[in-house]
Amino acid sequence: MKTRFLSLLITIWLAAGLQGCVTASIDEMTYNVPELGIGASSVVILGRRHSSNYDTERDFVACVRNHIQQADQTVNIIEEERFLDHLYPWFEPRTAPMHPDAIAKLIAQDAVASKLEELDTKYMIWIDGSTERTDSVGSMTCGVGPSGAGCFGFGTWSDTSNYEAVIWDFSNQAEVGRINTSTQGQSYMPAIVIPIPIIAPVQGTACDGIGMQLLQFLSADY
Amino acid sequence: MRVLFVSIFLTGCGAQQVIVSSQFPQPVVDPLPLTVGVHFSDEFKSHTFVDDPESKTERSWIVDTGLAQVNLWQTVLGSLFEGIVYLDAPPSAEAPASQVDGVITPVIADLQYAIPTQTNTSIYEIWLRYDINLSTAQGESVAQWSMTGYGKTPEAFMLGAQDAVEAAAIVALRDAGANFIVNFGQQPEVKGFLEQHVKAVNSESTRDEN
Repeated sequence: MKTRFLSLLITIWLAAGLQGCVTASIDEMTYNVPELGIGASSVVILGRRHSSNYDTERDFVACVRNHIQQADQTVNIIEEERFLDHLYPWFEPRTAPMHPDAIAKLIAQDAVASKLEELDTKYMIWIDGSTERTDSVGSMTCGVGPSGAGCFGFGTWSDTSNYEAVIWDFSNQAEVGRINTSTQGQSYMPAIVIPIPIIAPVQGTACDGIGMQLLQFLSADY
Repeated sequence: MRVLFVSIFLTGCGAQQVIVSSQFPQPVVDPLPLTVGVHFSDEFKSHTFVDDPESKTERSWIVDTGLAQVNLWQTVLGSLFEGIVYLDAPPSAEAPASQVDGVITPVIADLQYAIPTQTNTSIYEIWLRYDINLSTAQGESVAQWSMTGYGKTPEAFMLGAQDAVEAAAIVALRDAGANFIVNFGQQPEVKGFLEQHVKAVNSESTRDEN
């Protein structure tokens, strides 16, 4: 009984330590980088959701925000949901500006201009993209019997992430940067009694990649 | 034990019921200098969409949006106009609405939904179609137009089908509100109506100043 428990513990420990492989590529192009950081001004990171077949995941946008704020707490990033509610209905999928030129039209409305002034937004970062499962094969069978339960089989799948972050300088109403990231990874799930997930952190790698590039743009310390 | 078994069985066969309940953010708009009457019919206030299954393997859906509809339209209209008067009945020549410049009556013409099992995609979708009527205080129609609201949510891990449909409905309602705010003044008849009323309000205030 003790040996069985020990082998279970070892399996869980091994599974937790194993990760699938991920390949990532990041392209960056930024200009007018604020050398001293953004100071007391704020930044907002928003996901694009106007496409018919995908939405930029809210948890991905939150992941990028957390990545930046954990590295530099002085960068003030407004939460996406708070910003969308604060400026409803001007940043909904139907109404969100697609080009920085559209900001002028927005702030021509007194009510919108005063809300934006209140938030003191210096940069607006739009993230567009998603993570998709591109392929999956294999099968697994699980059963329960009088002597215990177990699974047997093998499954594998691949995920692909493609995201683009576009940085708008809100005060100059101009685009000042574009970061692209593309990641692919293969995950595996062999099962001999216990399924051992070997997960490729595809979305997490994309988040870290974009987060680090944005951090270098926004923070004076990086 | 038998009661438990029967209740599990009934749950398995029951309809998927979604009660959409949400508060909506206050729209950021410069209000139009008008006082409008708003009439929500009983059907509107208790709007429920029921979809019966086409096969024995499917479950029926009941999506109750009435409360959320009223919340949305109260919030949107309350911000878009300087004054709002809620009416119990639509205005008519015999019983005109008093102290209003016009009356708005939204009607839910259609609601459609799509779930991953129907479309083989990973998203839940909701479409709403409204017929909007703007009339004079005496009930004479000024403008009638249709508008839509669309919302989708990706199939998320640990998010049940009911929660996903509710989330899609909230996105669709927000979209309907955005659509109304952005396009209200763009309707040709509404444009004429607004110009006429804003001119009247301005000349009245000039007269008061003199």
